[in-house]
Amino acid sequence: MSADKVTIYVNGQPVEAPAGTVIVEAAKAAGVEIPVFCYHPKLTPVGMCRMCLVKVGQPARGKDGAPELDEEGKPVIRWFPRLMTACTTPVSEGMHVITDAPEVADAWRGTLEFILTSHPLDCPVCDKGGECPLQDLTFKYGPDLSRFYVPYKMHFQKPVPLGELIWLDRERCIYCSRCIRFCEEIANDPVLEFADRGRAQEIVTFSDPPFDSYFSGNTTDICPVGALTTEDFRFKARVWELRNVPSICPHCPVGCNIVIGERAGEIKRIMPRANEWVNEIWICDKGRFGHHFVGAEDRLTVPLIRDEDGSFREATWPEALEHVVNRLAAVISTHGARAVGGIAGARAANEDLYLFVKFFRDVLGSPNVDHRVAWPAGTGIEQAVAHVGLASGSNLAGLGKGSLILLVGSDVEEEQPVTYLRVRRARRNGATVVVAQARPVKEDAEAAHILRYRVGGEAHLMAALLKVVLEEHEGALDKRFDKLKGAQQVREAVAELALDELAGASGVGVEEIRALAGLVAGARDVIIMVGREALVGAEENAPALVDAAAALLAATGKAGQANSGLVALWPHNNSQGACDMGVLPDMLPGYRSADEVGATVDEMLSGAAGLKALYIMAADPARDRPSSRPVLEQVDFLVVQDLFMTETARLADVIFPAAAFAERAGSYTSLERRVQRAEQALRPPGEAMPDWWIVAQLAERFDAAWPPYATAVDVMAEIAKQVKLYKGMTYEKLEGEPVPWSTVAGYHHIYTGTSVLNTWFGQQWPVQAEARRPKYTLRWSGLRPPRREQGVRLVPRRRLYDHGTMIARSHLLDRRRARPEVLVSSQEAERLGLGEQGGTLRVQANGTALVASARLEPRLPAGLAVVAFDVDGTAWNALTEGGLRAPFGTLEKVEEAEE
Amino acid sequence: MLRQKRAAEIEEVLSHYPERRAAMIPLLYMAQEEYGYLTPQAIKEVADILELDPTDVYGVARFYSLFYLEPVGKFVIRFCTDLPCALVGAEELYRYLLEKLGLENGGTTPDGLFTVQEAVCLASCGTAPVMQINFQYFEHLTREKIDEIIALVRAQGLPPNGKGLHFAPRPQHQ
Repeated sequence: MSADKVTIYVNGQPVEAPAGTVIVEAAKAAGVEIPVFCYHPKLTPVGMCRMCLVKVGQPARGKDGAPELDEEGKPVIRWFPRLMTACTTPVSEGMHVITDAPEVADAWRGTLEFILTSHPLDCPVCDKGGECPLQDLTFKYGPDLSRFYVPYKMHFQKPVPLGELIWLDRERCIYCSRCIRFCEEIANDPVLEFADRGRAQEIVTFSDPPFDSYFSGNTTDICPVGALTTEDFRFKARVWELRNVPSICPHCPVGCNIVIGERAGEIKRIMPRANEWVNEIWICDKGRFGHHFVGAEDRLTVPLIRDEDGSFREATWPEALEHVVNRLAAVISTHGARAVGGIAGARAANEDLYLFVKFFRDVLGSPNVDHRVAWPAGTGIEQAVAHVGLASGSNLAGLGKGSLILLVGSDVEEEQPVTYLRVRRARRNGATVVVAQARPVKEDAEAAHILRYRVGGEAHLMAALLKVVLEEHEGALDKRFDKLKGAQQVREAVAELALDELAGASGVGVEEIRALAGLVAGARDVIIMVGREALVGAEENAPALVDAAAALLAATGKAGQANSGLVALWPHNNSQGACDMGVLPDMLPGYRSADEVGATVDEMLSGAAGLKALYIMAADPARDRPSSRPVLEQVDFLVVQDLFMTETARLADVIFPAAAFAERAGSYTSLERRVQRAEQALRPPGEAMPDWWIVAQLAERFDAAWPPYATAVDVMAEIAKQVKLYKGMTYEKLEGEPVPWSTVAGYHHIYTGTSVLNTWFGQQWPVQAEARRPKYTLRWSGLRPPRREQGVRLVPRRRLYDHGTMIARSHLLDRRRARPEVLVSSQEAERLGLGEQGGTLRVQANGTALVASARLEPRLPAGLAVVAFDVDGTAWNALTEGGLRAPFGTLEKVEEAEE
Repeated sequence: MLRQKRAAEIEEVLSHYPERRAAMIPLLYMAQEEYGYLTPQAIKEVADILELDPTDVYGVARFYSLFYLEPVGKFVIRFCTDLPCALVGAEELYRYLLEKLGLENGGTTPDGLFTVQEAVCLASCGTAPVMQINFQYFEHLTREKIDEIIALVRAQGLPPNGKGLHFAPRPQHQ
């Protein structure tokens, strides 16, 4: 028996459990399920509901401390005079727990009878019915009849809104406080509280907007009764009628595992699927409520061809495909293959992207492929992730004391919300979080150090950090570092830099940088997460930022070590997969360098590539990057493959209707490089088809000798053979053993909301640095002084609920949608003569001018203004090229009369 | 704004506690004194001062019965009807008070002067029957005494007996 394990006896049966474990968990290990309502393994135990009462005894000890023995030589058990709550009582050596004694059964029955005195028993109209812990535990342990005088039941007005997303039925609430604790502990949105006392007690919110949290839906999952329900699922279906289809959230690169509740060909609800490596049992509200685009009325359902009169006409698949093949062939024969370009959005699945690249490089013979419509090209971070990315086998939940997470230019709450929960959890477990950001973000709350760099100085900060670690922490350096190609050049280049100059350029003090370097050098695990804002702000120095981060991980020996490495906070759900599949002009699938280097997305969209034909799959550059519109208009032939008639599709010559994520099987790779599969839940509308199918059809008509792919499984099987990183990752290999939440089959909903047990956990591919003899080369791109210009630096901030093509169709979120606004610092507000209430400003930058309401953000550093993008039409996207520029601009106050 | 109007007092209260959140109750009393009752604005201001979410403050405000979330009269009468007071006629006296002011339990006179609430034990059983007006005790009540007190308060406000004029007990620090 190890030192921290103790043996306890559950109903006489010995069980080993770590000391300090609460009885509920220790008993589970013995296969004994103690009923609970308020207890939840993810939350601090409170012992509020009294459901888990059990009989507990300790071995008696004499005055000399020796155990007392009875006549038979067995230890005497001294029973506690009252039943104890198993959720708050930690186990100790020799403890006896009885769950099958008559007084325990009586307590459980009594507690349920008591809880039900104020419960309306309206199960037939309750959305929770069928997966309700109260219902199930009442059936199992509760009384047949209540002795309570029914007219005395507490009545409240039936459900009241806690905001427009969540309803509260106060009659059903049993005051377990799971929702309150979730908001406080897990989400750090303390916007729920109890109000009043006794029987009048109720859950309230007083935030603006009410229940102001991106994670509010999770409270409905962990609510052990039907007190909290979502507006989205309310009265939509009975849970036992749903077909639960495992899928992957299509909204952000976290890759949250979800369950699609399908009935009658519709998505009735989205719920999290427990995956302790990715999203635990949580998802954000965008994932939960953002599915309405799938069933939207305005989906494209048939192929469209532009007629001579300029209007679209419906076409059959063979006709449309034939048309595209003929036109592309004509362009190629006249202008060569390099006159054709392909942009594939990073929302598509690996199968789509793999075949897209194969089609371009092998069939058309054009290397012009890229996916980075919403991510800066040319930073080298794609390759760096393949070299020193978060090592396989990593789990943020495993971080604790000795772990360091460095977030650079991130805004995870708005862009990768569940990552915020994971970072917060790591911090609560003892990890040190450092936030380097020019502006305040929610993760500041988790930070031990906040470094407010000056926009443009991101790379200088990282270089300074690298310099201090290399030169002042030699003891912390890894011996293998100097064996890496490029290490010497990095050392020499860094040696030539002056620390005070770097610090000056970064806007962060030398001492702060030294403190951080000390943390990096002393940490057991180091994770560096780089956000879009860091790369956008660093501009031409972005490659140096990436280089310094990679060198830092390699130098400290963290590269390739589990729970350490580089994470790119990508914009889309499959940005990582798009890189892996080689949707990059200079790389083939699996990051092999391409002999023939094509045009980047920037060159294609600016016209520099001189394209005659453009094929755009699952992307909308006309909207996201309005400056590309002239190029899209002028190109001879434009094919668009999408779900909707997007701004780009309007300019197309042929439009292919594509199937949404829920309408086809596919695999997606998360920002932790976890390859995960999603199952088909619905049939696509009309004649819409999966992206990979469309591409394969085109290839076939070009007489390509492709195998006949019948399903996405076939394509993935080929990827698992052809792409080394994905070796062996066929669909069946992406499964694992389920993590049971309960020892009682079908009782997992007591903790997770649904009884669905997940087995599709996915697989992380190993990075280069994990190899026994890593062969990657460190790069050093050099640093130039940050750009300084007149005016205010505008930082583009992406918001969770924006006006993106998908999320815009979830009207449930309309009232919380990001408004077009500018956040200004106190200094700027004073200079402009804005009051505390803000005002109206004219914003000019990047050749665009617009009038916007301004809001004061007192925590914002001087000289900085934060602008939203993708909030309203295309003007705001033009201001920052869809979040890819941080331009200097001017702000002027607009008098009310001028508006 | 509370923060501007009573800045020095707020700083003084905050200085007594190791963390800001602990100053919530004194600040709520202060806000109630300032606004008459805890308006949503008052709760937001207190939350702002304490750097908390307003929900946190609102939950506390609703937990304690001496915080008013609805408008109350200038003088809030809390009349004890618990057992020891009831034994010496508090219930009958309370009815008398209600009739005199023409109110139901919890009501406020149209002139906005008096709000009357039934209270549980006010911890002065030795001097029963007892009531409080804005935290100031009035003891050994009789019908005549009630008449006298109401008339006096109507005419001159609360008598300055040196305590209980403030809602919040002042910390005694030297």
